[in-house]
This record gives sequence, structure tokens and C-alpha cells, in this order.
Amino acid sequence: MKIFTRLLLLFMLVSTVPLALFGYFNLQQDEAMLRIDALGRVSTLADKKVMQVRNYLAERQRNVRLLAKSPPVMQGFEALSEAYAKRSSSRDALMRQYFERYVEDSGVFYDLFLITPQGDIIYTQKHQADFATNLQSGPWRGTPLAEVFRDASMTLEPVISRQDFYPPSKAPAMFIAAPVVVDGKYVGVLAAQLGNDPFNKVASDPAGLGASGEAVFARKDGEDMLMTTPLRYRPGGTEVLRLKLKNNETLPMYGALFGKSGENVKMDYRGVQVVSAWRYLPELDWGMVVKLDGAEVFSSIQGQRIVMLEALLALLLFSGLLAYYFARQISTPLVGLARTAGEMAQGSLDQRADESAFGELGMFARAFNRMAVNLQGLYRTLEDRIEERTRELHATNGQLQEEIIEREHIEAALRDNQAELQRNQELLIEAERLGRIGSWELDVVSGKLRWSDEIYRMFELDPAQFSPTYENFLRVVHPEDRDKVNLAYRQSLDTRQPYDVEHRLCMGDGRIKWVREHCNNYFDESGKPLRSVGAVQDITGQKQIEDNLRIAAVAFETHEGIMITDANANIIRVNQAFCEITGYSAEEVLGKNPRLLSSGKQDRTFYEEMWHQLTALDSWSGEICDKRKDDTIYPKWLTITAVRDEAGKITEYVAIFSDITQRKQAEEEIRNLAFYDVLTGLPNRRLLLDRFRQALTTSQRSRQYGAVLFLDMDRFKTLNDTLGHEYGDLMLAEVARRMQTCVREADTVARLGGDEFVVLLEDVDEQSAEALKKVALIAEKIRVSLTTPYYLAGHEHHSSPSIGATLYRGNEKSVDVLLKHADTAMYQAKESGRNAVRFFNPRMQQAVESRAALDADLRHAVPGGQLCLHYQPQVDNEHRVLGVEALVRWIHPVRGLVSPSQFIPAAEESMLILDIGGWVLETACRQLSVWRSRELTRNLSIAVNVSAQQFKLADFVDRVAGLLRAHDVVASLLKLELTESVVLSDVADVVAKMHALKALGVKLSLDDFGTGYSSLAYLKQLPLDQLKIDQSFVRDITSNPNDAVMVQSIIDMAKNFRLNVIAEGVETGDQLDFLKLHGCMAYQGYLFGKPVPVEEFEKRLERQGDS
Amino acid sequence: MQLRIRKKWLLLPLLLLVLILVYGSQHTAKPAIRIGVLHSLTGTMATSEAPLVDAVRLAVEEANQSGGINGAQIEMIVSDCRSDAGYCAEQAEKLIARDKVQALFGCWTSACRKAVKFVVERHHHLLFYPVQYEGFEQSPDIIYTGAAPNQQIIPMVSWALEQRGRRVYLIGSDYVFPHVANQIIKKLLTAKDGKLTAERYVPLGEQNLDGIAREIAMQHPDFVVNTLNGGSNRYFFAALEKAGIRSDDIPVFSTSIAEAELAAMGPELMTGNYAAWNYFQSVPSDENRAFIERFRRRFGQVRVLDDPMEAAYIGVHLWVNARREADTSGLPAVKAELRQQTMNAPEGIVAVDADTQHLWKTVRIGRARADGQFDIVWQSGRSIAPAPFPFFIPPDERARIAKGAP
Repeated sequence: MKIFTRLLLLFMLVSTVPLALFGYFNLQQDEAMLRIDALGRVSTLADKKVMQVRNYLAERQRNVRLLAKSPPVMQGFEALSEAYAKRSSSRDALMRQYFERYVEDSGVFYDLFLITPQGDIIYTQKHQADFATNLQSGPWRGTPLAEVFRDASMTLEPVISRQDFYPPSKAPAMFIAAPVVVDGKYVGVLAAQLGNDPFNKVASDPAGLGASGEAVFARKDGEDMLMTTPLRYRPGGTEVLRLKLKNNETLPMYGALFGKSGENVKMDYRGVQVVSAWRYLPELDWGMVVKLDGAEVFSSIQGQRIVMLEALLALLLFSGLLAYYFARQISTPLVGLARTAGEMAQGSLDQRADESAFGELGMFARAFNRMAVNLQGLYRTLEDRIEERTRELHATNGQLQEEIIEREHIEAALRDNQAELQRNQELLIEAERLGRIGSWELDVVSGKLRWSDEIYRMFELDPAQFSPTYENFLRVVHPEDRDKVNLAYRQSLDTRQPYDVEHRLCMGDGRIKWVREHCNNYFDESGKPLRSVGAVQDITGQKQIEDNLRIAAVAFETHEGIMITDANANIIRVNQAFCEITGYSAEEVLGKNPRLLSSGKQDRTFYEEMWHQLTALDSWSGEICDKRKDDTIYPKWLTITAVRDEAGKITEYVAIFSDITQRKQAEEEIRNLAFYDVLTGLPNRRLLLDRFRQALTTSQRSRQYGAVLFLDMDRFKTLNDTLGHEYGDLMLAEVARRMQTCVREADTVARLGGDEFVVLLEDVDEQSAEALKKVALIAEKIRVSLTTPYYLAGHEHHSSPSIGATLYRGNEKSVDVLLKHADTAMYQAKESGRNAVRFFNPRMQQAVESRAALDADLRHAVPGGQLCLHYQPQVDNEHRVLGVEALVRWIHPVRGLVSPSQFIPAAEESMLILDIGGWVLETACRQLSVWRSRELTRNLSIAVNVSAQQFKLADFVDRVAGLLRAHDVVASLLKLELTESVVLSDVADVVAKMHALKALGVKLSLDDFGTGYSSLAYLKQLPLDQLKIDQSFVRDITSNPNDAVMVQSIIDMAKNFRLNVIAEGVETGDQLDFLKLHGCMAYQGYLFGKPVPVEEFEKRLERQGDS
Repeated sequence: MQLRIRKKWLLLPLLLLVLILVYGSQHTAKPAIRIGVLHSLTGTMATSEAPLVDAVRLAVEEANQSGGINGAQIEMIVSDCRSDAGYCAEQAEKLIARDKVQALFGCWTSACRKAVKFVVERHHHLLFYPVQYEGFEQSPDIIYTGAAPNQQIIPMVSWALEQRGRRVYLIGSDYVFPHVANQIIKKLLTAKDGKLTAERYVPLGEQNLDGIAREIAMQHPDFVVNTLNGGSNRYFFAALEKAGIRSDDIPVFSTSIAEAELAAMGPELMTGNYAAWNYFQSVPSDENRAFIERFRRRFGQVRVLDDPMEAAYIGVHLWVNARREADTSGLPAVKAELRQQTMNAPEGIVAVDADTQHLWKTVRIGRARADGQFDIVWQSGRSIAPAPFPFFIPPDERARIAKGAP
């Protein structure tokens, strides 16, 4: 190979191969990226379409399930079966009407069927050829309807059929069937026929499929695969394409039909390369393929490939030329030398080599020439002249030759130059288009302005109709920016500096574009501007993005805390407000789970519900308690939104929250302000009225009395005036505090204003008298409490309240009226000389007063010797007196004889009962001691009633023992009568005391037996000697069978427990006979004697003894 | 001199290349991914359960040969459950907490499943349960690859009622599955005019079933539904033979006898009787033939395959596919992928039902042959959606039935 060729090849190889390799790998990588991207896209799309189909079918299945369980179907089945057997259609109309909305209106189903367990189609909505046939033996036994019937019947479960051609409808169809079960009995199958439309719709939905994409559904049909929805590339009917399964294993659909899913680049049924994703749909037993043509997906790569090839070619040409030039530089002189040497060998000694070659070649040529000169010297003398001429001619010739070659070179170079220029121009235009950069040039001298195509495009002007001038340019500029642009240009001319300005353009239709201009000016030596060259770049998009970013950034840094997490709930970004609210810095939380904010105040179910709603609705908001970094817990209002990408996959969660601690506090304060008095913290008038109204309603229901007290501090104004408001306020706060300690928690103490307070007492008592008494007590308690001295900032102050009170029950009187009554009563209290309690109603007042008077008098009863004992005899079956019951009587100097029913309850409440009880016991013992000395009375016992309080005294047994000793009484003659209320209170204590008393020898009797709730079991534990049948039973013993039975069973029981029985209140002979008949052994009552003073009793006893 | 320099310059890039290769190969060796297998290798359930471990092993090895989980190999840790539910639950806890397995495959009896379910749910972990069962259960953490009642028990009894007659005798082991299954069957009898002659339970592992056989001979039902599990079956069929009961006279329909049990107890005892499954070794498909061949090449030519083995095998493949697609050990992602899995299994195409996490399966009824295989006498028109809570039983009664278990 020649040196020239070698050099040429080597040079081209070295210059182009690395570039070609680099380009190739680059392209390959781009293609792989594009491929992954496209595969992801079709895969997502396929999943979406699967979901569409699945949702649709799930919806239809739900319809069928509901229909199969709907009463019309369940009830209609039997009637229809009978009608069908008789070939009548009486039930049809009802069923038709019920099914109509499923078949006709909404088109949910194509047809509906009712099928008996034997397979008879007894009802169809459309009455096609399938009606009244049998699915097990009839003509349609091989259809999907027959199959779905069979599967539903076998599994008793809703099932969905495969799709196949269904001859009665003359179309492909599929069915959903559900068994109908009535009262646990299988009565038949409800089947629904689905058309193909919904699947066609899913298949033909072009969203995401681009210009060439397609979604294809197919099913297996024997040995074939059959496309079930219309194809984009095979327009026509539904059954457009049938392919053999064999030999088509490479189709994406093949995998799908065999239960596989995946995505890859494959050949489709047309033999075209496609980017495809395939799925299997178990519900339909179908395969689905979503695909995009490779040509479309890889079109950008194709473009790049061409550019790359072109560039490679250009480079090859360029390097070829360069190599040619260099190779020639080396080879031409060598060739010249060789030729010269050859010619000289032929005898032409006047030949000279070209010495202009560079480097070593030049040296070689010169040496060669020197050799030639020496050689020639030998011949010069010969034919000198002729030779000279010839040489001259040759020289001229050679020169000419060289000149021609030179010219050719120049021409070639020029041609190259022009082509290069052309290419540059085109590249520039392309670059401008790609970069959205236009260029312009203004000849300042001539005023001629030249715009590049891109500028016209950018300014949206037609180059054919628009002549570019500076003025016209300014016209396109936004009016507000014109001065700015003009100024920038002028200044740049003055300062001889390039300028750079961003401004707006107004488009013909009012749109605004943002452009950036850059301009350079050129000047001659004198500094006169020659021309301006500039570039314009469309930065509208950039501006918008900047704006959006700015807005987003500003919005992000709001006073609300924002936290963004990825789909796995790892925090990826937080804002400043987040840090301020939580106390965490961004670095501390990034990458962490938001769990670290959790306070633990919400339980797991709360979060589960939150996530549930979040996934279902993509957003959640609500109040939640979280923890700051310093462990303080604060309430916040939180909104979480799920962000989904185009594929519907959650990519981020955005949580926005605000700290609502202050709001909560404010709410609390506002609530307090509205309902509570600021000074005392007591409910104010509003809240009082509210509660009062409620109290009235409650009382209406419960029939309990309540009361309202109106209170005013006496001489409060004087305090305020003399010591100042501060003291007044301190005093009021103290009053409020004291009042609250006087009432129950449920009661309301309110401040109406000034020194006026109201107390609302609820559920005081059912009895008005009792209620009155209790209210009076509470009012008194308050009065006493408020009368004790106040120590206000070191000053002692004396004050007292005036209290007015009134009772209420139900809605008889309104709140206003009741308050007015209490107020009136309060004024009466003030008029009576202050520091007093007054009831509104004169009768109430009277009752309160008389009760108070009774209490006061009772205090004097024992010390004043106003009490005395009366004795009532207790007799046996032979009417012999066994003993007496001692009954207390109060003879008041003014009131006269006061009934025990009047004063005993009062005594029990005031604890005076202890004094009275003690007195009775002692008097009875003294009496026993007196009687001991007389024959007649020696064996009489005395029964004494013991009250609950008395019995509860810790030293009660000791007292009794003391009295027995002191009066030297036979213990067995003292009988203590205990009521059930006594023995029921503290069992252990009571039983212990009773045993102790028994040990003393004292007898114990249970009084009023039968009225309480004593249980037999309990009774057994008590060491009793006697039961006393209450007089209420005895009274009606002859007229009321219930009482008779009761008494009888008491007597029987007593006998069983070996107890004595005594009946009290025996007044007639009939009563006595009855009691005697049933085994009673002792009696007490008017029939045998009333309670009488001891003297009278003794007299009667003597009389009896005499007779 | 000059030559030597050139050699040196050649050596340097060569060395560099070797270094890069070594670094690259080290980089690709990923740590193994562990899975746990929970089956009884000892005790009364061992006959049934031990072969399942082989099925799982085959699937794991296949997955490893085809690249593992995106480069990582799968390592299986087998725990012997000793036919004891409580012990099995402890093993599950250990596998999850200590061995950090990414999925559990196992259990056979419902008692075992319920015990392990408690552990799996507490960890929000993942269990593949490969055996048909009584239904009335659904868990976000369990994939049920065996049949739901509507995919086995119900169609089996329906078919028997149609083919054999109305009078039914129920015999089962005394634990969860037979009790609940029989509750369902009794409801089905009500629905389809069947008649129950007797319902009997014997303890798991009971060997004396002569009394039962005598009662069957005496009552002479049209067919027997057998929910016995484990070793008792062999004694049951022996007792039937002893009592002179022939399969063409009173056929037995079994829910827990497959080819493996048949092989273990001798097929002649059960010849002519029926079983319902989703898979029989005799299913005539290319996938199945290839599956049998692969299994036998690995574990021996005499081995038989059956439904629970196939279900165990499917389970692993479903998990492998989902795990590959999710490409993370995060269980929520794997579970999400699992809910979309479909697969061309030896029994036909199966698909995970996203709602119930059970599989769409084809129902088959087979009649035992003398060679230990089954003739398929009936199969559903297509794969049937799983329904763990039977539609024909009203919701208010479902709770009672589910609780009806002792």
C-alpha cells in the first residue's frame, strides 16, 4: 500500500472511531432510559385498565348479590315456579317491573334470568329464545349461561362466567349468577347477562395511549386466541382477529392468556415492535395487553441517530480532507523526487527536485539537487544553448502546471468554505429554534434591521408582511417596558457596553411573553456606532416556573407548620413554622417518622381511622394532641393530604397544622367571660338562668323540691365607700368562697352583680316540710358562715348577709317569678333587721318558724321534766298481763300534750333523741325497780323503744348494764324493742351489741315486723326473743286476706325460729280470735288497755287482780 | 530496551481491568433473603406435611436458579412444628423475631393456622397457608393458597347429593376444621334437601374406628363425608373394609386425603372413593407434566404430588414474583404486589383475589384409582372466585358457625 493511502486511512480511523463509539453508547443509554420510562407508562396504564374492569365487574356482582337477596326475587321465585309449571304468566308483570330499572333504564344488565334448581329458565326479561328451556338438557346446555348456572348451583356462591358467543342474543355474552336462598333453602339461581360495551369502552379509551397505542383484550377459544374488543389496526366487528395459540408464543397476549403479567418490548400481532404490558384478568379469564408502537416511543432516538450519523459523516469528510492535505505534503515531493530520479536515470540530467518540501524531505531534495548539479556539470558544455532553451521552456511549463494546481486548490477550498458556511447557517437556525433564541442585527448607519426566523416566530409576526425596524420592534414591547428597553439600548450605545435586559412582549391576542435580550454594539475607530447585534430569548416558561416557585416558597413559609413526608411516611421537608411550633430543627426530623411528634394521647384506633380515611379520601383533618421537643403537649389542627402521581400512586403526604393552644385557651376564656363572673369565678346571671330553667324541668320530672336563695351583704356599700373598691372586691371573692363551702357540689352559687348572690339548691326533698327544713338549715349555715369576721388585707371586717328564700317544684312558677319571690323575701329579711333568713311564702315562713320553735322547746323537755311515760299492757292468751310497753309523752307547758309523731322526728334530727331515749330507759328501769317490791308487779316486764342513734352509741350496752345495776333490776324484765331500721344498719356491730345485751339477760324484740325488708336469712343471725307484728297488719287482719296470710306466715316463721310473737294494735275480738287461732301468744292493743300513766295502770291492775 | 518499556505499558491497563472486575463482582454479591417454613416433620401430621417442605424447596431452588430476588439468593429455614399448634406458634415467633424471615410458609391444621395467625398478625408479618380449610377467616397478613369452602367442601357435597343421594353420614376429627366444615355441610343439606344420618367426631390420631364403621354399615347412608385428618384415615378405611362396606355401595368423600396420604396408607384401601381438590397429579396439562418431572428429578422418581404440595409450591412462586416486583423487604409493598399476582400454575391459572387474599381456583372431584392416582370425574367450568364466608349462609349465622368450633 502506498504511504499516501496508509496515512489517509490511519488519520481517518483515529479521528472518527472514538467519536462513533461514544455516540453509539450514548444513544444506547438514551434508548434504555426511554424504554424503561415507556414500559413504566404502559404498565401503569395496564394496571389502571385492570382496575376499571375489576371495579365494573365488582359493581355488577354487587348488584346481582343484592338482587338475589331482594324480597321480590326471594318471594317471586315460588310463585313464578308454580306459574311456570301451569304455563301462566301472572307473576311476570311484577317481576318485570322490578327488574326494569336494571335492564332498561340504566342498562346495568343486558338481560336477567331466574332459573330453577333443575335448570328450567322460568323467567327472562327479554324473552329471547332461551326462555322456557332447560339448561341441563335443552339447546343452550353448552353456553356460558348453563355453565354459570351449574357452578352457582354447585358452590351456592355468586359466580361469573367466561365470555362466549351466546346464540339466543346472537352476540358474545357473559353472565353473573347467584343462588337464591329462602329460609336456608336453595330455590334457584338468579343470572344476569352482561354485554360487551363496558369492555369495549375500556379498550377504546385513548387516554395515555398516544398516537399509536392500543389496549387489546382477548380470551382463549379452544386452540385459538380471540380478541374480544375492537382493534385499532383492524377496524370492523368485534370478532376481528383470531390467532392460533401455537406459533404465537412470543406475542405479549400469549403470556397474559396464561396467567402471566409483565412488560417488555415485543412484536405485536401486526409484527410491529411495541412497548407492551400484559395482564391476566381472573374475573373474565381474559388477557389484556396495553402497548405503544416502538416507532413512536423511540422516535426521538431515531432523530438523534440521524444527527449523529450526519455529524460522523461530516467529520469523516473533514478529517479526510485534512489527511489528504498532509499526506499529499509528504507524498508529492517524494513522487517528484522519484520522478526526477527516474528521468535523470533516463539521461535527463538537468532535472531538479522540488526543494520546497518541508523538513527532512526538503533536505533530501536539496542534497539530491546538489548531486544533480554536479552530474549536470559534466554535460553542461554540450548542447548548452539548446539545453538552456529546453530548460527554460520546461521551467515555464512547470510553473504553469503549478499555478493550475494552485488554482484548483483555491477553488476547492472556496467551495468547502461555502458549504461550511451554509451548514453553519442551518445549524444556527436549528440552534435558535431549539433554544428559543432569536437573533437580530441593526445597521446603525442605514437603520436596516434584520431578524432571524426565530424572532418572527417568537414575536408571532409574519415575515412576509412585517418589515423590521426599531420602531416596529418597540411597538411589540409591552408599553410599560418600552422606556426601559429604549433606555437600555441608548445607554449601551453611550457607554459602549453590551446590555442585558428582560422585558415583556404583547402578543396580538393580549398574551404576555417574557424575553431576555442581550446586545453588543460595534463601533468604528472614531467611536461611531456601526452596528448592533443582539439575541432574544423566550423566557416565558422560565418566568412562570420562577413565579410558581416563588409563590410556593412564600406559601411554604407560612405561619402554619408544614411537613412533607414520602409515601413511607418519612419526613422529607418541613418549614420554619414547623420548627417553631414543634421545637425541632429541620435537621433533627428529616428522614424520621412523624411518630416522634406523637404525644400518645390518641390511641391506636384513632390513627387507624385516620389512615383509613387518608387512603380512602386522600385527606384527613382534625384536632390532635402532639408533643413538642421539650415534651410539652399541645393541641393542633392538622390537615393531611395525600399527593398522588399521574399513575395514582401516593408519592407524598403533606401535613399542614397550626398550634391551637391559644385558640383553645381563648375559647375557654370566652366561655368563662360569657358565663362566669370575672371577679369571683362564679356563674353569672346568664348561666344561672340557664341552669335554673333546667332545674325546673328536672324537678318537674323528679317531683323533688328545690329552692332558690337570694343573698345580699348588709352594709356592703359602706365598706366599698369607706375602704375602696379593692376591699369590696376582696370581700366579695371571700363571700363567694365561703358560700361555695356551704352547699353541695351540684348546687349553683351565682353572682348577679354588686353584692347580690343567688344560690340554687336542687333535689332537696320530696316532702315540702322536709325540704323547707333542709333549706332553712342550709340558709342558716350560709348566714353563720358569712357572719364570721373577714380579714381583708390585714383589716378585720364584720358583715352579715340577708337571705331570702323560696321553694319551687316543677314548672309551676317561672324563673323570673321565683327570683322575684326570693328577692322580696330577702328585702323582708333586711327589714326584719338584717342578718336574717326569710322565706317568701308566709306559710313557708310560718312552718319554718314553728319548726324552729319546736326544736327550741324540745331542748327544754328533758331538763324541764316535761316528759313522762305511759304504759300499755301486753297480755297472754288468758288475758293475763305479762308486762307493758313504755311510751314517751311530752307535756309542754303552753302546747299541752305533744304527739310523739310530732316531736320524735324532730328529736331524731337534732340528736335530742339521745337525751330523750336515755331518759326513757332510765325511767323504765326506775319503774322496774319500784315494781320489784310489789307482789302484783314483780314479774311485769317493760318494753322500751330504742332509736337507731341511741343503739349506735358505742357505749350503749354499757349504759344499759349500768342502769340495770344502778336500779338493781332483773335484766330479763327489760325488753328492748328495736325497729328494722336499727338492725339493718351495721350488721356486725348490731349483732355484736345484741349478743352483749343478751348476755346481760335483756330481752330483745323486733318492732314493726313485716314493714321493712328483713330477710329471713338475716333474721336468723339475730339473737331475738320476740317478733312484734305491726299494727298495720293486725288492723285489717279480718278484712284483707293478704294481711291475714302475712300475719299467719310471720307467726309460723317465728315458731320455726323459736321466737315469741306479739301482735300490737289488737282492737276487736275478731282480731284476737284470728290471732289466737293461728297460734299467736301475746297481744297488745286498745282491747286490753290504752297507754296510761303509771298510776292509772297500777290501779287497773289492782282492779283486775281483785276481780 | 524499547521493547521492554512497551510491555510495561501493556501490563498496567491489564492490572487495572482485573481490579475493576474484582470490585464489580464483590459489589453484586447481595446478602441472602430468608424465609421460614413451618411444617410438622414429626407426630401425627408428619405424613401429610413433610412433603410440603419439598414442594417449597423446589420452588425456592427454581427461584434461585432464575436469579433469586433481583440477585439475592433465597435461604429457607425449616422449623419442625411437631404436630403441636402451640409449639408451631412459638417457632413462628422465633422465625420472625430472631431469624428475621421475610415470609412464612406453613401450617396444615386449622388449629395450627389459628395459633400462628395470632403471631403473624401481631407482627403484621406474612404467612402463606397451603391447605384447604373451613373458611370464616380472612387476614391481611395471610395468603390462603388452598381452597375456601366454596372451592372444595360445598361443590363436593353438592355433587355427591346429585350423584349419590340425600342421606349423609359425617365423620371428622375433633378440632376446628371438621366442626366448622360440618356446620357448613349441615346448612348445605338444609338448602338442598339432604338428610343427616349422624355426625361423629373422634380425637386427632384416633385408631379405633370400628364402632364408627359398624354404625355406618347399620345406618347405610348414601355417602359419607370424611373430614378426618392425619393418621386416623388409614384406620378408618381399614375399619370400613372390615365392616364390609364397599366404595360403590357407600362411597366416602374425603376432604383431607390426597395422593401423598394415599401413597402412605396404601391406595387399595381407598380405591373407588372420592376426594375433592383443586389439583390432582393427574391434571392433564403441560405445566403439570413439567412440574411433576421437575419435582421427581429433584426428589426421586417414585414421589407423588398432591394438592397441598402444589399449593405450597404456588405460594412460594407468588411470593417470589411479588417480592421481585416490589424490590423491597417492606412487607406492605410486597403485600400490595401480592394482591395483584396471577400465575400459570400446574392446576391451571390461579390469581390472588385482592379482596380476600385467597386464590381463584378450579374445583375438581376425583375418584381414587388402585394406582394411587385420581380420575377426575367433575370440574368447574372455570376458575372460581374464593368465598371464605359462604354467601348462602346469612351473615348473622356466620358468626355462630365460625364460633361453633370447640
